[in-house]
Amino acid sequence: MSLSEKSVEEISKLLDEYGIKHGPIVDSTRKLYEKKLEKAMENAPVNTSSDKTYYREEEEEVTYITYHSPVRHEGYADMLKRRGNAESDEDDESDQDTEPPIQMTNRAANHSTVRSKEPVRKSGGSMWKAIRMLLLLAVLAAVVYYAYCHVINNEENYFGVQ
Amino acid sequence: MSTTSQKHRDFVGEPMGDKAVTALSGIGEILGRKLEEQGFDKAYVVLGQFLLLKKDSEMFTEWLKDASGANSRQAASCAQCLKEWCDAFL
Repeated sequence: MSLSEKSVEEISKLLDEYGIKHGPIVDSTRKLYEKKLEKAMENAPVNTSSDKTYYREEEEEVTYITYHSPVRHEGYADMLKRRGNAESDEDDESDQDTEPPIQMTNRAANHSTVRSKEPVRKSGGSMWKAIRMLLLLAVLAAVVYYAYCHVINNEENYFGVQ
Repeated sequence: MSTTSQKHRDFVGEPMGDKAVTALSGIGEILGRKLEEQGFDKAYVVLGQFLLLKKDSEMFTEWLKDASGANSRQAASCAQCLKEWCDAFL
């Protein structure tokens, strides 16, 4: 199977998978994108392995959901729905830290596959960063205050002695 | 590319209208003919390709080198001039 035999949709999907930004794939641009894709595929076969982890994670989810429904296919569909919900929920709750553990697993699975979700994850990451920064600042302020008090006390003692 | 050619300034300075493909900076007689053979006879057709590639200069230069046999400097010059034209008139 060569790239030139693939349909436009397949090419477009592959480009997305390899993170190549692209416009419409038409006669005049297709060859260019095929070349680019070929290069990307040579350089990064890593991507396929990340796909594998995705399937493994997906399987975990399936087994989890089968607790609720005995039929495997239904479970799968259910899971898809849940994932859909989780995705839409995530946008609303991206600034909430306290999420039930189940949703966290969904989230992790989504990250490894769905590129478009990266911004959401980023915003969460930056929030965490901000919180850590604040914490650090608070600690720093406490230390400085402590040192300051210490110095003042010393000075008072010093003057007191004199 | 801090200096721009007279051709570049001429192209970027006004709407491209019906200009020939050779009006693009970096595209001379020979490259122009090669492009024309492939149907890119007007500057706006090349602009179309530039836009199809989402104004990605890197992709566009790659395409131009492929399509016309332009060298890197010529292709970059053409991409730069289309980019600036878009900034001004699009």
